[in-house]
Amino acid sequence: MKRKLIAAIGVAGMMVGIAACGSEDGKGGTDASGNKTLTVWVMDGSAPDAWMAEVNKEFEAKHKGVKVKVEKQQWNGIQERVTTALSEDTPPDVLELGNTQTAGYAATGGLADLTGDKAKLGHDGWNKGMLASNELDGKLYSAPWYAASRVVVYDKTAFKKAGVTPPKTRQEWIDGLKKLKASDPKTQPIYLPGQSWYVYAGFVWDEGSDLAVKDGDKWKGNLSSPQAAAAMNFYKELQSYSTAPKDKDEATPQQSTDIVPKGGVASWVGLGWEAGGAIDAMKKAGKTADFGYFPIPGKTADKPGSVFFGGSNLAIAERSKNKDLAKEWLALAAGKQQMTAYAKATEGGLLPNTDAAQFKPAAGSFAEAMAKASSVGKITPVTPGWANVETAPNPIKDYMTKVLKGEDPKKAGEAADKVITERVNQQ
Amino acid sequence: MTVDSQGTATAAPVDAPGRAAGKSKTPPPPSGPKEVLQPPRGRRSLPGGLLPYLLVAPALLSMAVLLLYPLIRNVVLSFQQVNKREMITRETVWIGFENYTKLLGDADFWGVVVRSVGFTAANVALIMLLGTLIGLLLNRLGKKMRLVLSLALMFAWAMPIVASVTVFRWLFDEQFGVVNWLMRTLGFAGYEQHNWFETGFSTLVIVMILLVWGSIPFVALNMYAGLTTVGTELYEAARMDGASGWRTFWSVVFPNLKPFFMITTFLEVIWIFKAFAQVYAMNLGGPDRGSETLPVYAYIEGLGQQHYGLAAAISILTILMLIAAMSFYFRLILKQEDES
Amino acid sequence: MSTLTRTPRPAQTLRTKKPLRVGAVAKNVTAIVLALVFVFPVYWMFSSSLKPQSEILTKDPVFLFSPTTENYTTATGVDLFWTYVTNSLLVTVGAVLLALVVALAASFAIARMRFKGRKGLVLTVMMAQMAPWEVMVIAMYMIARDGDMLNSIPLLTLIYFVMVLPFTIWTLRGFIAAVPVELEEAAQIDGCTRGQAFRKVIFPLLAPGLMSTSLFGFITAWNEFAMVLVLNKDKEAQTLTLWLTQFQTAFGSDWGATMAASTLFALPVLIVFVFLQRRAVGGMTAGAVKG
Repeated sequence: MKRKLIAAIGVAGMMVGIAACGSEDGKGGTDASGNKTLTVWVMDGSAPDAWMAEVNKEFEAKHKGVKVKVEKQQWNGIQERVTTALSEDTPPDVLELGNTQTAGYAATGGLADLTGDKAKLGHDGWNKGMLASNELDGKLYSAPWYAASRVVVYDKTAFKKAGVTPPKTRQEWIDGLKKLKASDPKTQPIYLPGQSWYVYAGFVWDEGSDLAVKDGDKWKGNLSSPQAAAAMNFYKELQSYSTAPKDKDEATPQQSTDIVPKGGVASWVGLGWEAGGAIDAMKKAGKTADFGYFPIPGKTADKPGSVFFGGSNLAIAERSKNKDLAKEWLALAAGKQQMTAYAKATEGGLLPNTDAAQFKPAAGSFAEAMAKASSVGKITPVTPGWANVETAPNPIKDYMTKVLKGEDPKKAGEAADKVITERVNQQ
Repeated sequence: MTVDSQGTATAAPVDAPGRAAGKSKTPPPPSGPKEVLQPPRGRRSLPGGLLPYLLVAPALLSMAVLLLYPLIRNVVLSFQQVNKREMITRETVWIGFENYTKLLGDADFWGVVVRSVGFTAANVALIMLLGTLIGLLLNRLGKKMRLVLSLALMFAWAMPIVASVTVFRWLFDEQFGVVNWLMRTLGFAGYEQHNWFETGFSTLVIVMILLVWGSIPFVALNMYAGLTTVGTELYEAARMDGASGWRTFWSVVFPNLKPFFMITTFLEVIWIFKAFAQVYAMNLGGPDRGSETLPVYAYIEGLGQQHYGLAAAISILTILMLIAAMSFYFRLILKQEDES
Repeated sequence: MSTLTRTPRPAQTLRTKKPLRVGAVAKNVTAIVLALVFVFPVYWMFSSSLKPQSEILTKDPVFLFSPTTENYTTATGVDLFWTYVTNSLLVTVGAVLLALVVALAASFAIARMRFKGRKGLVLTVMMAQMAPWEVMVIAMYMIARDGDMLNSIPLLTLIYFVMVLPFTIWTLRGFIAAVPVELEEAAQIDGCTRGQAFRKVIFPLLAPGLMSTSLFGFITAWNEFAMVLVLNKDKEAQTLTLWLTQFQTAFGSDWGATMAASTLFALPVLIVFVFLQRRAVGGMTAGAVKG
């Protein structure tokens, strides 16, 4: 078919002038003069530019004639882009994958098997909680990179005015919200959109249950379980203190930049970059943020609530032409020394893959609250099919909206389970 | 994915003059085409029989390579299982009609088909009706007002889809929507935080407003351009006879612009039926999958879940449905070909 | 052109004067209301592009604000901005020119010649118009991938060319049919060859048709998103449609920059439109003499 297309160009005959524009450089690995290019895909917002530049400088100094090309990707539509990229002859050599999506790609054979490189990559030092999503059937397909979890961000002034202090238990949390509501009816005690499903997942885990459970060698959705309903009822109670839309998630509109900076929000649940984004946006609008942070309260005071441990792994494409170089790069970037620099560059807002690289967070910072919660961080079921569940329309989100609007949790859960079961067992 | 469809849907407002002129103004060429091929001139040009084929060859060839061939590939894909794994490994897994039987046996699929057909019909009817009325209005306005209105239409038509969908989402937003603000300001109760996307139906109504808004300029400007080609004598004659505006339209305007109405309706049906970006971006096919039309369904089931073979099957079914729906049109247009 | 507005008047004046004025006022009021309705979203895009981020999404819309050009600086300051501009122009102009040349030949044959398979060709062109390009993206992707033609500007140009070709043939055919055969014949009697007759007689009369079809092609190619998104992952080979969406990220959307980019993106289309529309309609009325 190559011939045919070339023939078509011949027929067209006019393209000569612009034919030179279809550049191929940077993709093939080696150019005419023998220089190699290592292509690295990272997600937008994952790596501070300065840190990345430092890693590549060190790498290029060690490997003469090699250039690292970093391409930032957007999360939106990433699965399709990664799939097609992995199918190409010259894929990106190293790619960042969301931890809920890694298993799905590991199962396709598109990722290089790194089991034999464990020692070089520093496997033994890795955070055990973060390691799980990198493995499938006993083999290692990627290196953990960073993780993060959500905490409650609150407006110190509003809390002070209502006489509320950071709660330690769910009961204290609700009591505080009640007080906040009474002290200033114009301010929502908490901004919690109806489809913040990562928050809900934490409540499910608090009940000792999960979103999907093993059923023989298959998986099945578990939202119709009484535990899921109990978790949803608590979510509903919390949500009743918010005027946020019941049928939207935290990103539409973006809570950190479009909602919180406008004021009228006493607290919200967010990630480190979200808190940072809100602070920046308020600064731009001439306001000052006065944020405090606390982990999502648990059922009892001795343990904070479970949270979703979002994060990313770094993998190497099976079709990469530079696998050895890619492994070298991976060992460097995800190694202890650079991870320490990474943790520092992100000021602890993102947890590095090894506790040894942990940044000592400042008192009262987001990172401090997050570190407290990291002991109870969990991830979604590690199975190749899980990534399918998360694609739009996400059945968990639809379930949440339905229950918030008054539908019976069991009935809504059964409808959602049907979809989850179908999707989670697909490859 | 069809981000371009709106652009196309609102495109080429000026093609109608030609088309309309071609059809309505030229006195039916007594025997035009035949005369061109009269023997005496054959000597100077290429052999008469070959020339037309040479002229259409580049067009046919390029369509064969860049349209027909991918289409055939698409048909082939629809008989395969092409999921994430097969895409990456480039493995070929034949599964016969499985993609088709799965779809045709799925009640959701048929629900989406019915919804799409209804949605398209409502949209096209509204677009044609309002577009025609605005076209007629343009024709009756003074020079200045006409310029104002056509400029407004042009602006709407030039707006990129990404921007228009975003703006419409803002306008109807639950928390920050201008429409809710307007309702509040006008003194209506219950619009403090009214959710315009409460149900699939209400979502589709908003999408419809967007599509109609974006498609009218094409129809209206075309209509106006076509109207200017209808001879004024005809109007005067109709006036003299004391015909009402309504009757003038049906007896003078409509017959003269019939080709225009036919083609425009044809194009609008295709564009609306295929519209993706506007429907998907408005509310991701929600709530609870209630505003999914066929292209959105194809995207969610096929591309979103990375079932590329299934997506191909949906697209083939979509084409077949379009062809079936349009066969009536094809016949009309071919008949017209015979007459010309 | 305004004959129609004038014609009814004398007729109505004979009857009464008042209804006329009411009618005229109603007409103009309707026109103004309609103009406002159509322009409002565009105005909202433009005004948002001049607002600081904090005033874009607000509970009560902000109508008065001190404009800032900051969003435009952000929008045009992205890496590779000028590469996107160049690519978009190359692809769009290339596709349109190619389509015009190829379509001119084909539509001339369809409009002026009788040959076997002509009706089949007309049908083919109509069917091609229905092509579901968006869902063919994956098939196209696999072809390009296996043929090592990803990230290619020429391939993208060719795809856009075929996208606009059916409509171009269809429209030009109408324009050619509108040129009286007698003119062409007269030229040939005067000693022109068939080619000369086409060049000297038909072609000038086709100007408006060429204009309007270019406009259509321009918009289609300029706005295309799905193909370039999947086929050209290399940023160096991407176009402005992808630039438009890059300000909306998972980490917060820069709405001001999105709207500024959209405004800039719409400008060439508007310019082409205003330019071609005048020529096209002007040519059209000039052509009316021939009737």
